[in-house]
Amino acid sequence: MEVTARVDPEPVEARLRAIQSIMDAALSGLDDRELLAELLDRIRGVLGADTAAVLLLDFSSGQLIATAAAGLEEEVRQGVRIPVGRGFAGRIAAGHQPVILDHVDHTTVLNPILWAKGIRSMMGVPMVAGGRVVGVMHVGSLTSRRFTGHDIELLQMAADRAATAVQSMTAQADRIAAAALHRSLVPTALPAVAGAELAARYVPGDGGVGGDWYDVFTLPSGELCVVMGDVAGFGLKAAVIMGRMRSALRAYALETTDPAEVLARLDRKMQHFEPDAMATVLYAVIDPALEEMRVCLAGHFPPVIARPGRPAELARVTPGLVIGVSPDVRRPVATVAIPPGALACFYTDGLIERRGEIIDDGLARLCRAVTAEPAEAACAAVMRALVGSEPARDDIALLMFRRQADPPVTRIAGQEADRDA
Amino acid sequence: MTPEASFPVQMVSGVPVVTAPEEIDIANADRLRAALLGAAVHGHGRFVVDLTRTRFCDTAGLHALVAAHRRTLTEGGEVLLVIPGPGVLRVFEITGLDRVIPHAASLEEALAQMPGI
Repeated sequence: MEVTARVDPEPVEARLRAIQSIMDAALSGLDDRELLAELLDRIRGVLGADTAAVLLLDFSSGQLIATAAAGLEEEVRQGVRIPVGRGFAGRIAAGHQPVILDHVDHTTVLNPILWAKGIRSMMGVPMVAGGRVVGVMHVGSLTSRRFTGHDIELLQMAADRAATAVQSMTAQADRIAAAALHRSLVPTALPAVAGAELAARYVPGDGGVGGDWYDVFTLPSGELCVVMGDVAGFGLKAAVIMGRMRSALRAYALETTDPAEVLARLDRKMQHFEPDAMATVLYAVIDPALEEMRVCLAGHFPPVIARPGRPAELARVTPGLVIGVSPDVRRPVATVAIPPGALACFYTDGLIERRGEIIDDGLARLCRAVTAEPAEAACAAVMRALVGSEPARDDIALLMFRRQADPPVTRIAGQEADRDA
Repeated sequence: MTPEASFPVQMVSGVPVVTAPEEIDIANADRLRAALLGAAVHGHGRFVVDLTRTRFCDTAGLHALVAAHRRTLTEGGEVLLVIPGPGVLRVFEITGLDRVIPHAASLEEALAQMPGI
């Protein structure tokens, strides 16, 4: 600050008033969107500028998108987009540095709205949150003027405050969108299957929803398909990839009955369209009589099988490679018998992984908790034993399939006989 | 959560070696990625990731290692993991990555397989 070097008290006081206007604690009561609008209004006021605007960086496209404006509302209404590195705002974002333009014309400013409006001078600063540029804030003047270092400092204060608000606004919007998307894709209602019971749980981790999902659907052949998956990552990005994988897998399931081929096609699709994504997937196809299932694993844990009167164990399925690593991988398929009354437990890593212990300990704990009881009771028992009251660090998905026990034939026959009589 | 300030990258016998932390998860996977990128640059695509200390590696950690491996495939080079204990190795077996990403049981073995430039 150069404030102390100044002798004239009036500019010092004016400057303090300007800082007070930007840092005003009362603004904290506003929601993030209102705060952005109010900050633009105030910065325009304290700098005596005619326009003020915020462009936010869209990370996927690398473009700055006009998001809020005062005196330059058309920029937002027309959805102005500026590529990072180009034009006035683009240079600020790319260089992480303030830029002052004493003369605005089409050679210095990319956005025609600015020079068509008659803006003569401009100044802009980067908005930085969490160490990276999230946007640009700029002000403009309809008369030629020279913005000073003090002006830059004031604008940077407003931009810093706006950046924090924007970060929380984006994080909140993403969280809400991810949760809504997840809810729509991982329904709590499972299909009714004659002769079987299904029950499931999904619990988001402490960072919000992640990329875990499960899916259960029937094929025209009468086969029942069970999917359990985990997309690496969290939040909206993971939820979006999960949604794409879920629909792609459903589509491939209709095309071929070979579980390994379904996962191979899914892998090819992912590596082509989402080359940076990685996911583990279990895909199981249960025959119409519900007597056995064909299981294929893409880096996912095998199901736990509990047969009546016997301790539960991991189904013997040879591991197959995780999705998103190498092309043209053939994964083994194992056939697992499901005797009457048996229960199959499908899950994601969040259920069994604990810090400070190896995976086999978690798997053993799960096997001890699973018994061949009704699916809903089995879900509750496993969640109680493995999660308890601990907050989940990672998200957890759990799905139980139980083939109903064969009814005691003699008694049914007796009832039938009674009814017929 | 155990935030670690950085992931040391040391030159051992002319090869960059990234020492992975005790736990790799969503909280530090981005920093591991950055360290792997740095090691790749120093070693012209050839480097070692030492997971000797690592007790816990979740999907985010595996994703970072897979990304580094894929990069060496497309841009040339070689990444070699050191996985001595059964814990992390088991995770690699379940995900099938043990048959895709080259690994050794000790740093000495890794360096013997990857002579310095």
